[in-house]
Amino acid sequence: MPRELKNIDNGYRWSARLYHVWLLAEKDLRSEFRRPYEVISLLTFSLGAVLIASLSFGGGQVPPEMVASLLWILLLFLTILTYTTSFARESDRGTIGGLKSLPCSALAILGGKVVYGTLLILLVGSALLIFTALFLPFDLGGRYAGFLLIYALGATGLSLAAAFVSGLVMFSEGSTLLLSFLLIPVSVPILLPAVRATTGLLVGTAEVLPALQLLLASLGLILAVTLLTFGFVLQE
Amino acid sequence: MAENTPDADRGTVELDGVSKRYGHRHVLRRISLRIPQGEFLVLLGHNGAGKTTLLRIMATQVSPTKGRIRLFGRDPESEGITARRRIGLVTHESFLYPELTVLENLQFYGHFYPVAESKYREMLEILELQPYAGLRAGSLSFGLRRRVDMARALLHDPDLVLLDEPFAGLDERTAHLLGEYLDSLKETGITLAMTSHSPKRAVLTCDRAITLENGSIVQDLRYAA
Repeated sequence: MPRELKNIDNGYRWSARLYHVWLLAEKDLRSEFRRPYEVISLLTFSLGAVLIASLSFGGGQVPPEMVASLLWILLLFLTILTYTTSFARESDRGTIGGLKSLPCSALAILGGKVVYGTLLILLVGSALLIFTALFLPFDLGGRYAGFLLIYALGATGLSLAAAFVSGLVMFSEGSTLLLSFLLIPVSVPILLPAVRATTGLLVGTAEVLPALQLLLASLGLILAVTLLTFGFVLQE
Repeated sequence: MAENTPDADRGTVELDGVSKRYGHRHVLRRISLRIPQGEFLVLLGHNGAGKTTLLRIMATQVSPTKGRIRLFGRDPESEGITARRRIGLVTHESFLYPELTVLENLQFYGHFYPVAESKYREMLEILELQPYAGLRAGSLSFGLRRRVDMARALLHDPDLVLLDEPFAGLDERTAHLLGEYLDSLKETGITLAMTSHSPKRAVLTCDRAITLENGSIVQDLRYAA
């Protein structure tokens, strides 16, 4: 049984867990913005991809299905780029030992990575949305709240899956390569309903709700797998 | 310092038939050992003897393949977080984040424990690190980073301090400063376990020296105070 599940540590309350998650995420965000070249490269990648797509359509109207697909493909690649250096960097530098020496659970360590990654993806993703709105004009018809909800849920799901896979492969030789290969199949249950729901919103059809339900179910499944198994990942 | 628990007199660390295997490679073989509170233990042995793995098991970083470990009379498998609150660990790898300053690194680790704000300045002063508090850890020399790591591990007044080759790669001055600080720690009744390649330096300060060979204890010597 993973240590996480049979942990009977006294006094490790939920408030402490959340505080630890925030401490870990804040440390990663602070470190990230002290080496801004990584964020800048993420923004450049997003802008470049949107510009190329816009040029390939001759600057004209782009089908909503294409806009939705492009958005989520780019978000997937942003997630991969964000998480290739997440746990792998902790492992390469040896700081994973420092995290394991802390009086916090393995799930808090994972939670810190998820919060850091999600915030970073949402931040860069916001710039991506602006680029997309500028160069691949789409009409949401006032359905902004629904769009933001799907965007936030999808980004969180991708981030959770990526953090889990990143932790799983961090001690492997080709951890960055493995992350890219493993994350694509793992993220399909998130990507498919997210693309379908986004397309539904852009077209204005009634397909959004079933896709949103599927997205929530996929997110729940990934969360359950993570909670049940991540205790093993940090064990040696 | 030492928490007033019913287990306090049962020894800080108890290992009973602990073995560790990585694949087919046996790193530790049936180690049984008791480290009472306040003892300064040195683990000696050649490279690959199993010293670091033994220390990492005591730090709850690694689980034994066989055998039982008790820390402060409790099972770290189920009470790892409670145990880690009372442990300070320094390994040959630095746990510092190069993008953060020395003070930010200490605060990051310190916020997981009940550490008073004044304690950061106090540790910086003791280890003569005040001039470097605002510098990024990545810009420090190896010796300075080792001192910051030491400060990080001792911020929360741990009951058990585990040091993996703390003198390796240090210049004379830094080694002397660290040695003096370890001596002062010993006087506080803290339990110390340290790995070393150098029996000469270790034996000068320790209460007990254990020599490991191929994952087994081959010598266990106690020294009079």
